[in-house]
Amino acid sequence: MQYTTKTISSQAPALQLKSVSKKFNDITAIDNLTLEIKKGEIIGLLGPNGAGKSTLIKTILGLVKPDSGSIKVLEFSVPQDTVLVKQHVGYVPEHSSAYEFLTGIEFLDFAGDIFQMEQEEKKKRINEFLKALNLEGREGDMISSYSGGMKKKILIISALMHKPELLLLDEPLNTLDPKSARIIKNLIQQLSQQNVTTIIATHILEIAEAVCSRIAIMYEGKLLALGTMDELRQQAKMPNSGLEDIFLKLTGTEDVQLLVEELTK
Amino acid sequence: MNWKTVYLIVNANRKAYRTIPSAKLRRYYENKLTVYGEYILFCVIGILIGYLVGNFYSASNATLQTTILDGATYVFVSIPTIALLYGVIFTLINKAQQIGIKISAQPIYWFPISWQEHTLASIITSLIGAPLAITLLISSAILTASVFVGLIPLALLTVLALAVSLLLSSVTTEALKILQTRLLGAVTKVAGRGAIYLRLAIMISTMLAFYIIYFVIYSLVYNHGSPIFLFETIANGQKMLWFIPYVWPGMILSTFTNNLGIGTVSFFLATLVLIAGIFFIATYTNTRFGLYELPTIRLSGRTYTPKISLLEKMGFSSIEAALMKKDYKTIIRRPELGVLFVFPIMILVSGFIPFLSGAQSDQSMLLDTIMFFAMITLFPSMWVAGFLGSMLTGLEGSSVWYLFSSPISAKVIVKSKFFFTVFCSLVALLLCGVIGSVIFRPTLLYVAVVLFEAIFLIVTISTVSVAIGIKGADFRGNFPYNRAIKRKESWLHVLMCIATGLGVVAPIVPYVLGLLGSNGMALFPAILIPGYYAYFGLFMSGIIATITTYIFYKIALDNAEQMLAKPETI
Ligand SMILES: Nc1ncnc2c1ncn2[C@@H]1O[C@H](COP(=O)(O)OP(=O)(O)OP(=O)(O)O)[C@@H](O)[C@H]1O
Ligand SMILES: [Mg+2]
Repeated sequence: MQYTTKTISSQAPALQLKSVSKKFNDITAIDNLTLEIKKGEIIGLLGPNGAGKSTLIKTILGLVKPDSGSIKVLEFSVPQDTVLVKQHVGYVPEHSSAYEFLTGIEFLDFAGDIFQMEQEEKKKRINEFLKALNLEGREGDMISSYSGGMKKKILIISALMHKPELLLLDEPLNTLDPKSARIIKNLIQQLSQQNVTTIIATHILEIAEAVCSRIAIMYEGKLLALGTMDELRQQAKMPNSGLEDIFLKLTGTEDVQLLVEELTK
Repeated sequence: MNWKTVYLIVNANRKAYRTIPSAKLRRYYENKLTVYGEYILFCVIGILIGYLVGNFYSASNATLQTTILDGATYVFVSIPTIALLYGVIFTLINKAQQIGIKISAQPIYWFPISWQEHTLASIITSLIGAPLAITLLISSAILTASVFVGLIPLALLTVLALAVSLLLSSVTTEALKILQTRLLGAVTKVAGRGAIYLRLAIMISTMLAFYIIYFVIYSLVYNHGSPIFLFETIANGQKMLWFIPYVWPGMILSTFTNNLGIGTVSFFLATLVLIAGIFFIATYTNTRFGLYELPTIRLSGRTYTPKISLLEKMGFSSIEAALMKKDYKTIIRRPELGVLFVFPIMILVSGFIPFLSGAQSDQSMLLDTIMFFAMITLFPSMWVAGFLGSMLTGLEGSSVWYLFSSPISAKVIVKSKFFFTVFCSLVALLLCGVIGSVIFRPTLLYVAVVLFEAIFLIVTISTVSVAIGIKGADFRGNFPYNRAIKRKESWLHVLMCIATGLGVVAPIVPYVLGLLGSNGMALFPAILIPGYYAYFGLFMSGIIATITTYIFYKIALDNAEQMLAKPETI
C-alpha cells in the first residue's frame, strides 16, 4: 500500500515546467526546459534577443502550445485548464497594445469585468493605480493617443488590478519613466511578501539584480543558468563581477570590443 | 516622378494585403498563383458569361438578334458610368481605411518619396482588389461576347473607357481623402463627445454622396417595362447630362455608336485632361494638408462610476456584457467601419425607385409593394448580420492577445459575438421595417410574414457568419487595413449565407408566388395557394432556421475552441 501525502497548497510550487520544448518549424524556441519556481519568488528572465524568453512566458500562459513536456501553474495544468490559469495570472505582453479605440478607463473597466471584479473594488483599484502611475486626467483619452509608456502603464494596471497570484511580465519597464518604474519594482517586491510570484523578462540587468530573488539566463531556448547572484558568480567563476559580465560570459558574447572595431573600420 | 518608386510602393502595399498562414512565415516565397489566382478566376467567369451570351445570340432568330444587339449597345455604353459608381464606392472605402492609420506608423511618410509619387501610388493601390476583379470580369465578358455579336471595336473601346473610368473614380476619391480627413479632424476638435457620432455620419454621407446624386438623377429618367431598362436609362441619361464631366467616359462610347468620330476623340481627350487635372489637385491637397493626423477623441471630464449595464440585467454575465460593450464602442469609433451602414442605406434609398419614377400601373405598384417592401426590410438587416458576424472576431485586430490571455472561454466568445450581431441586425430590421411599412403600406399578414422571415434569417445568418468569422479571422489590424476575414473564408461566408438564407426562405416562396399570381401578375400564373399556407410556410422556415442555427452554433463553438487552443498560429 502506498501513501501519497498531499502537499499543502502554500508549499506547492507556483510554477513547474518539465522538459518543455517548442519549435517553430526549424527554430527551437524552447529546448527541453525544466524549471520550478516557488510561491513568492521573483524570477528575472534574461537572455539575448531570440533566446526564447517571450515564447517561454507565452507557453506558461497557454498562448503557445508546447510540442512536448508538461506545465503546471499553481494547481492547474496547461493547456488543459487555461481559463482557470488565466484567472490567476496577470500578463503584460512585450509589444502588443490594448484596444486602441477604447479610452484608458474604458479598457480598465472592461478588464475588471473580464476578471469578474466587484464593482466597488474595481473602481477603487483603478483609481488608485491611475493616481500612482500619474495617469490621472488622461484616463478619458483614447488609448491610440497615448505615448508608448502610457500604453504600457495601462497594460500593467490591467495585469495587476485583479490581484493575480502569478505575474508574467514581458519587458514591462522598458518604456516607463524612472518614478513609475520604481513604483512597479517596489510593488512587485511588496507583493512577493504576500506570496505573489513574478517572472520578469528583461534586458535591464540593473532591474534583475535589484529586484529578483533568482535570475534565469536563457540562450537558444535552453536554461543556461538559474540561481541567486552569488550562485551565478560561482557558476561563471567570476567571484567579483557584476551581472553584465556574467551574462556576457555565459552567453558567449565577450568579444564585444572586437566586433565594434570591425564595424567602425 | 520616379515611376519605379511608384511601382515599388504599389507592390509593397499589395504585399501588405496578403494573408499568409503562419506555417509559411519563414522562408516565405510568393506563389504567383496565389497573387493572380483570384483575378484569373474572375476572367474565366467573365469569358464563360460572354461565351454563353454569345452562343445565345448565335442561336437566336433575326428579330431577337436585333433586340439583343440594341440591348448590347446600351449595356456597353452605360458600363463606364456604372464602373465609375462602384469605383468611387470601393476606392472611398479603401481610402477611408487609411484615414485612421497614424502617419507616424507608415514608412511611406519617412522614406524619401515625393508627394506626386505618393499620390499616384495611393490612386493605383486602392484599385487593387475588388474594383480590379469586377473590372476584369466585365471586360472579359464583353470582349468574349463581342466576338459572337460582332461589336469588337465597340467592346475594345468600352474596355478602354472602363479603365479610364476607374482611374477617374480613384483620382477623385484621392482628392477627397485629405479633405475628408480634415473635416473629420475639425469635427473632432469642436464636437467633444458628440464627435463620435458626427464623425460616423460624415463618413457615411461622403461614401453615399456619389450614390445618392447618381441615384436621384437616374431615377428621374427611370422607365419601367424594358428588361434592360437600367442600361437604357443610364445610356439615355448620360446623353442628357453630357456636360457633367463624370459621364464623359460613357460619352466616348455614346458618340462612337452614333458615328461621331470627332466626339469620341474629344471626349476621350477631355477625360484624360480631367484625370490629369484632378490628379494635380489631389497632389496639391496632399502636399498642402497631407501630413495630418486625425486627432483622437477625448472623452475626459466625467468621473468614473462603474455601473451594471442593461445587458447584465438581461441575464448576460459580466464578461459577456463587457465584450459586447467593447465591440459596440469599437464599431462606432472606427471611421472606416462606416461601410457597415452604407449598404443598408443604399438599399433603403433604392426602395424609393417606384416613387421617383412617376406614374405607373396598379400592377407594377403591387409588384413594387411586395418586392420592394421585402427587399427594404430583409436586405439591410441581413447585411448587418453577415457583415458584423463575419468581421467582429477579426476586428479585434492585434489586440486579440487580450482575449487569449484572459480567462475567457470559447462559449463566452461565441455567445457575445452572436448576440451582439443579432442585436445590431434587429435594430436595422426595426428601422427599415418601419420605413418600409410607411412607404408601401402592405397588408398586416404580409408584414408579419416578412418580419418573421427576417428574424429567422438574422438568427441563421448571424450564427453562420460568426462561425466562419472565427474560423477565418484575420487579426492583422495594421497597414493597409484590417481585412478582418481571410480571403478563402470570406468567399465561403458569402456562399454559405446565400445557401442557408435561401434554405430558410424557401418554404415561404410559394406563398409569395401565390400572392403575386392571385393578383394577376403577368409573369406568374395564378397559383392556387390556400390562405393558411403562410402559417405553414413560416413554421417550416422556423424549423429550418432552428436546425441550421444549432448546427452552426456548434461549429462556431468548435472553431472558437480551436482558435483559443493555438493562438500562436495567428
Ligand atoms: N510565431 C512564431 N513563428 C515563428 N517563429 C517564432 C514565433 N515566435 C517566436 N519565434 C522564434 O522563436 C525564437 C524565440 O523568440 P522569443 O520572442 O521568445 O525571443 P525573446 O527571448 O523574447 O527575444 P527578445 O529579447 O528579442 O524579446 C526566435 O528565434 C523567434 O524568431
Ligand atoms: Mg521577447
